[in-house]
Amino acid sequence: MTDTTTTTGGIDPTGARELLDRADRISRRAHDAVRWPYVTFITALGVATSLGTLAMGLTTGTAFAAVYVGTLAALVALVIGFMLAIRGRSAFASSRRWTVYIASWAVTYCAAIAVVGWVHGSVLWSGVTSGLVLVVALVCAAWESRS
Amino acid sequence: MTLEQGTHPRHRLDDLLQNAVRFSIVAALDRAGTLGFREVRDAVEITDSALSKQVAALETAGYVAVGKAFVGKTPRTSLTLTRDGRAAWRGHLDALRQIAGSDQESPGHH
Repeated sequence: MTDTTTTTGGIDPTGARELLDRADRISRRAHDAVRWPYVTFITALGVATSLGTLAMGLTTGTAFAAVYVGTLAALVALVIGFMLAIRGRSAFASSRRWTVYIASWAVTYCAAIAVVGWVHGSVLWSGVTSGLVLVVALVCAAWESRS
Repeated sequence: MTLEQGTHPRHRLDDLLQNAVRFSIVAALDRAGTLGFREVRDAVEITDSALSKQVAALETAGYVAVGKAFVGKTPRTSLTLTRDGRAAWRGHLDALRQIAGSDQESPGHH
């Protein structure tokens, strides 16, 4: 590692630019290395809940109960896996950006659940709201991976 | 007052962050906020002992908080950039940016 920082007051403009570049490079590398659980989580959350709400909206009886329990189990497994993966890095997850992601997902998920309750059996409404859950989650994941 | 005590941005550089390893540790924590010891070590590309030594200096200065936890029976150390550390880092980067831009200013400024 080249040490251009050890001589107090001896940094010239070129050295300062090199240090700024290095800071940016290291910061991005460290952040990229720990970002994958977050991108994976939001993607998996979107896929699981969109498929779950779509299936709940179009099934009845025992099949509905199986889908309902399966979706809940998938959600619990996802949250537990995510919490284990980010252990020690909780500060990252409490950022304003993540609040927006989760709030966006929650709004579309509530809409999809409302369709399950009030317009049960409608292929159109189930498809639209469940598709929205997936699209929002994938947009959030894409945004996170590029941020 | 000596000439060295003027307003040149180099006087605003943080003494602690002028060490290359400490500079890199804080840079690694800048975006992520909190990282595991091994993640910082891999990002900075130094040995465990060298990292421990510099982290201790940053912790003493209040720039970094060191957390200890156990995952099963395995100890896990986490490093978090504190508010003071972030403020010092921002000031240090601002001074560097001013130095970096100083050769693009007109000669009449100096």
